[in-house]
Amino acid sequence: MNLTLRVWRQKGPKEKGHFETYQVQDVTPEMSFFEALDKVNEELITAGREPIAFDHDCREGICGTCSLTINGQPHGPDEAATGCQLHLRAFKSGDTITIEPFRARAFPVIKDLVIDRSALDRVMTAGGFVSVNTGSAAEANSILVPKDKSDAAMDAAACIGCGACVAACPNASAMLFVSAKVSHFALLPQGKPERDRRVLAMQKQMDLEGFGNCSNESECEAVCPKEIKVCNIARMNREFLRAIFWSKE
Amino acid sequence: MRWLFDFLNSSIGKKVTVGLAGLLLCGFLLTHLAGNLILFAGQAKFNAYAEFLEKNPLLPALEIGLAALFLIHIIVTLYARWQNWQARPVSYEMTVSKGGRTWGSRTMTYTAFLLLGFIILHVATLKYGLATSFTEDEVFQRVMTFLKSPWMAGFYVLTMAGLGLHLSHGFESAFQTLGVNHPKYTPVIKAAGILFAVAVAGTFAVIPLWAYWQGGLK
Ligand code: HEM
Ligand code: FES
Repeated sequence: MNLTLRVWRQKGPKEKGHFETYQVQDVTPEMSFFEALDKVNEELITAGREPIAFDHDCREGICGTCSLTINGQPHGPDEAATGCQLHLRAFKSGDTITIEPFRARAFPVIKDLVIDRSALDRVMTAGGFVSVNTGSAAEANSILVPKDKSDAAMDAAACIGCGACVAACPNASAMLFVSAKVSHFALLPQGKPERDRRVLAMQKQMDLEGFGNCSNESECEAVCPKEIKVCNIARMNREFLRAIFWSKE
Repeated sequence: MRWLFDFLNSSIGKKVTVGLAGLLLCGFLLTHLAGNLILFAGQAKFNAYAEFLEKNPLLPALEIGLAALFLIHIIVTLYARWQNWQARPVSYEMTVSKGGRTWGSRTMTYTAFLLLGFIILHVATLKYGLATSFTEDEVFQRVMTFLKSPWMAGFYVLTMAGLGLHLSHGFESAFQTLGVNHPKYTPVIKAAGILFAVAVAGTFAVIPLWAYWQGGLK
């Protein structure tokens, strides 16, 4: 099959970007979408031109590094999948595919399709942890965790921090990401001692990073490759209200 | 008190404020609608009701409270929307929804401005008689004279459609913002939101249609 790719090219963070069009010939439906980009890049390098910079690492949907908006959808048209898990069988020969970076003020473009997502790391540093003293591991059964709670915490912890929720949100809000992180601690007994301080610090950092305000559009839930649900956002709202009005923090 | 300021200025705090004001405004809509339905009971009954309201010593306080709710709801939303607009300085060339947004949520800003324009016109004309040639003092006569115009009746019906859309997202969204999301109750809240939107907007819309077909005062 043959495809036309319209790719966002931007030399550097301060540079103005634009779209460039590339033809990809003789690719097969079982190839991954990224392999098509690899093919374009090999041809660009052979021709002595600058290859397209795009982020990827595991290429199996677990690291959260890839960050492409494909035909207007962060991670592309597949349900519950990252961009690296997308295959060319999702397209027809002759299709034109538009590729843009995840766009948000908090995610500045570094080059082409590569963005800086350290804003999410700073939110984690602000409170996304449990403080424990080092030493030998505690006896596993000394703190009992109900099955439904541990399942819900695991569902929230499935977040790979890719930032697609921010990219898909009409407001560029990071609420789904932050709420997943807040939730996976808030649901477990180990997270309880620091719950008030944690939610206040993470929400404050989130606002400082310049993300938008959530307006419950649920586009985040629809694009999340790990199917994180917006009920986590409601939980974060509860945690936040609790911390503001009931705690001494 | 710093915590309170931090709360009101935070992204969640702004949403909670807007949501609470919105839910209280839904309460106002219900009382206003109930009062308006007395129109169907005829001139004497409706004017008696209007007089009862106007003579009520609590009315000025209630009106100030109502105006405050509207202002809080509008100003905090505008501030949040302005921040949201800044949060994505370079917009996408192509945006395709994966199904999260609804017609209601997509059109919130447009329906909000429609409602704002409506309220200004509505209060200025029906309550204060500005830019109108009302010779009657009585509220019933004013409503009927005003809605005799197909333009005005049409604008009222259009606004009610906008109101329905606005509520279809706003109602359920307010609960989510207040942290109410539960597998047992959320489906009920969503259904109740749609029902509330359709019922309230639909019933309101009957009034201008009815008044228009009455052809004013006979
Ligand atoms: C068919 C629909 C409607 C009719 C016939 C109607 C009629 C009236 C009347 C007769 C008054 C009182 C005037 C007075 O006391 O002098 C009034 C006031 C008011 N209406 Fe409506 N109304 C309608 C829909 C709405 C809607 C949808 C909203 C809000 C979104 C609204 C907001 C208000 C407000 C804010 C006031 C002023 C309340 C006050 O300060 O006393 N109305 N309306
Ligand atoms: S490259 Fe690791 S998730 Fe896509």
